Amino acid sequence: MKASIGGLERRLRLAGMLLIVGLLVEAICLLWARPLAFILLVCGGGLLCAAGIVVYLYSLVAAGEATSK
Amino acid sequence: MILLLSLIVLSAVMIGVFVTRPAVTASQGGKILAFLVLFLLPSVCMTMGVASELERSTSTQFCLSCHVMESHGQSLYVDDPTYLAAAHFQNHRIPADQACYTCHTNYAMFGGFRAKFNGLHHVYVQYFGKPHNPIRLYEPYNNRECLHCHLGARSFEDGAVHTADPDLLPAVKANKISCVSSGCHDVVHNVGQLSNVKFWKGAR
Repeated sequence: MKASIGGLERRLRLAGMLLIVGLLVEAICLLWARPLAFILLVCGGGLLCAAGIVVYLYSLVAAGEATSK
Repeated sequence: MILLLSLIVLSAVMIGVFVTRPAVTASQGGKILAFLVLFLLPSVCMTMGVASELERSTSTQFCLSCHVMESHGQSLYVDDPTYLAAAHFQNHRIPADQACYTCHTNYAMFGGFRAKFNGLHHVYVQYFGKPHNPIRLYEPYNNRECLHCHLGARSFEDGAVHTADPDLLPAVKANKISCVSSGCHDVVHNVGQLSNVKFWKGAR
């Protein structure tokens, strides 16, 4: 049980860090009004945020499985 | 923009709390808050960010921020009413802050999407390829884009030149005779001639 909590916390940390970096990339792109900023926003910020959300959702599923076992 | 940036900063700070203290999610309230902070807020920020960038990509300033488009931007200030793009821009027949997008978007289904897709190609060519010199359209200019505004307008439907030949307007409406390349309104940007023209200084 303790190990699963540690795993959950680790995944939450990873999700949070991915989201923070993704949001920072988005903020920079919004301030940097150049055509390349749009590409960076979608391909950089968008992917990082999507990855963060996926890791967070996966951590919920994994935690749920660990609890049921 | 300020609202969106504030939301991004707020989200990042709240996510930071979960990164430094993930044990917060142990309680029921913490789990709900985690869902809001790690799922809903980033999704809202991203959606708003992409929408904001898409809106900005329709601005004249955005299109002209590429070096290769500078001469086309200058052509909007030519002091000659026969220059089609300049006449439309200077007389606000099109929104001055969305001049490029208004005429160069495709007024068919998914036209806006195609315009954005072409925009991605422009960015690729700008940074990784070599733009054509002079720049050319991907496909011949479709009258549909002109008719989006002019169809039904008195000056278009009843214009002396337009009505002189009864076959002309039906052919124009069917895109069989081009507005801009059949000898009628063929002075559009003409960037090759910019060294020989006078420029309007703009509204004061």
